[in-house]
Amino acid sequence: MQSNDAARTANYRTATVLEQLRVTGVHLILLAIAFTSVMPFVWMFFGSFKTYVELTSGESLAPQVWTLDNYRAIIFRANFPQAFWNSTLVAVVVTLSVLLTSSSSAYVFAKYRFWGKEQLFVVILSTMMVPFAVVLVPLYVTIADIGLSNKLGGVIVTVLFSTFGIFLMRQFLEGIPSDLIDAGRIDGASEWWIFSRIIIPLSTAPMAALAVFTFLFNWDNFLWPLVVLTSPQTQTLPLVLAGLRSLYWERYDMWAAGSMLTVAPVMLLYALAQKQFIRGITMTGLKA
Amino acid sequence: MGREAVATQDRDLFARARQIVRKPQFWFGLAVLAPLIIWYVWFAFSPIARAFWMAVVEYKILQPDQSPFVGLRHFRMLFAYKLFWISIRNTLIYAAVFYAGMVPLALFISACLTSVTRGRNFYQFVIFLPVVVSLVAISLLFKMLMNPQLGQINQILRALGIPGSQFLTSHESALYSVIGVDIWKALGFYVVILTAGMLNIPEEMYDAAKVDGAGIWQRFWRVTLPLLGHTLTLISVLIVMHGLQVFTQVVVMPSQPGGPGNATYVMNLLVYNEAFTNLRFGFATATAFTLFVFVFLITVAQLRLLRPSWSY
Repeated sequence: MQSNDAARTANYRTATVLEQLRVTGVHLILLAIAFTSVMPFVWMFFGSFKTYVELTSGESLAPQVWTLDNYRAIIFRANFPQAFWNSTLVAVVVTLSVLLTSSSSAYVFAKYRFWGKEQLFVVILSTMMVPFAVVLVPLYVTIADIGLSNKLGGVIVTVLFSTFGIFLMRQFLEGIPSDLIDAGRIDGASEWWIFSRIIIPLSTAPMAALAVFTFLFNWDNFLWPLVVLTSPQTQTLPLVLAGLRSLYWERYDMWAAGSMLTVAPVMLLYALAQKQFIRGITMTGLKA
Repeated sequence: MGREAVATQDRDLFARARQIVRKPQFWFGLAVLAPLIIWYVWFAFSPIARAFWMAVVEYKILQPDQSPFVGLRHFRMLFAYKLFWISIRNTLIYAAVFYAGMVPLALFISACLTSVTRGRNFYQFVIFLPVVVSLVAISLLFKMLMNPQLGQINQILRALGIPGSQFLTSHESALYSVIGVDIWKALGFYVVILTAGMLNIPEEMYDAAKVDGAGIWQRFWRVTLPLLGHTLTLISVLIVMHGLQVFTQVVVMPSQPGGPGNATYVMNLLVYNEAFTNLRFGFATATAFTLFVFVFLITVAQLRLLRPSWSY
């Protein structure tokens, strides 16, 4: 009886030890992956403060001599301030527009009843299936026809609405009980009041996620701005950054500094709004 | 519905229309839907419709109205165009390798993440970091790290006694180097979706499997994977769409877009170059349609094949 108990305890002990070993192993794997994810950025950060000679020859990760020359050169020669402003303008305007258009149309699609509603919604959703390459040329012709080629407006106007945003917000708003809206109507509230005072405050979570995504997508977008924006004065950050390849041929120090300038605002946003990023993805991932 | 209803139908309709117009919802709905419809017609539907037309005419940039109809000539030209087949080959390899690398890796990491509780948010935060960073910056960064002589990756490999690679500068390894970077960058995105999906599986399922004596491995194959269902279908579709539509990396990373030679020449690049370098708008759009066919067929096939047959 006693020996049986002892054996059981021993078994139990080996089991916990094994379990602890397994957990430690998993943590080691995850740490390795996390290390791989972050290391290139660390290298880039330090590299941007190194001289060209040290960057291409030095062995140590941190610079022996810290220099701001790369940043100085980039900022004054490569049109970075202008590009920074252009990118900010595009990303902010588009994000505000997408927030307003997605939430209002999602409200109508979720809570109104009208003829052809479902059909309209399906037709709008179907545009998500079409690869962007198909409309690349016709959309450019459309933009050129209204005089917006080589203007920031030509980038902005094509993304004022977001099919993904409408879909995301509708999924969410369908879960909000209609009683809240009916109560507002009985009290004589206007539709705008109901939208701005009931719907919007209830949907801050998906809207924050949508805002973060829209900002990010437009900050990083490359193909469409490459087509529309042809002169240095109108270009956004990714275009100017890609241009460093020819402006500073194989000058890795310049590339690192330029990348840092492009990446820093996004990293900052990510650090501040980490929850929204993750939640936004999870929300779409589980509901689609 | 009585006889009176039919008799007074006209007046009824009129009264109903007036009733609708009087509703506050009508005006709010109109204010929301009118711009929506105008925008979608202008910047989504009509470009798509115009794409169909462009693919079958010889588009004249200065006088579009006088573009002559050429039928399927662009498609016949495409099939005789060597670069077209190269780009299809590269695009399909890209999507396939990206898929084959991403799915097991993302599943593995998500399984690791779900099995720990402490530090999960931290790991997710870090693994997700490359997702938020600009693709152009990442492409430049890895162009530097993958430099065969000076790059850190080869230095590390050499220090470990492994022969380095030519990466982006060689015909054989360029495409796979680009795919590798893409997997590194996009990994966090799919990991977050999969982790959420895995955490959503009821704990009882695992308890039941444990009682039945299933080990970790069996629990993964027999419980986690089947019960991921829709999440797995969703990420499969997203991964393939992502792979088929690669563009930025093959422009920024190689020494010239699509290079070296045509090693990383993909369909989106062909569309872009035909349109804005060679100014063959009709031909470019015809190319884009073949890409559309690929995206469409593969997506539909996946939705059919991967549809889960049950739910919980």
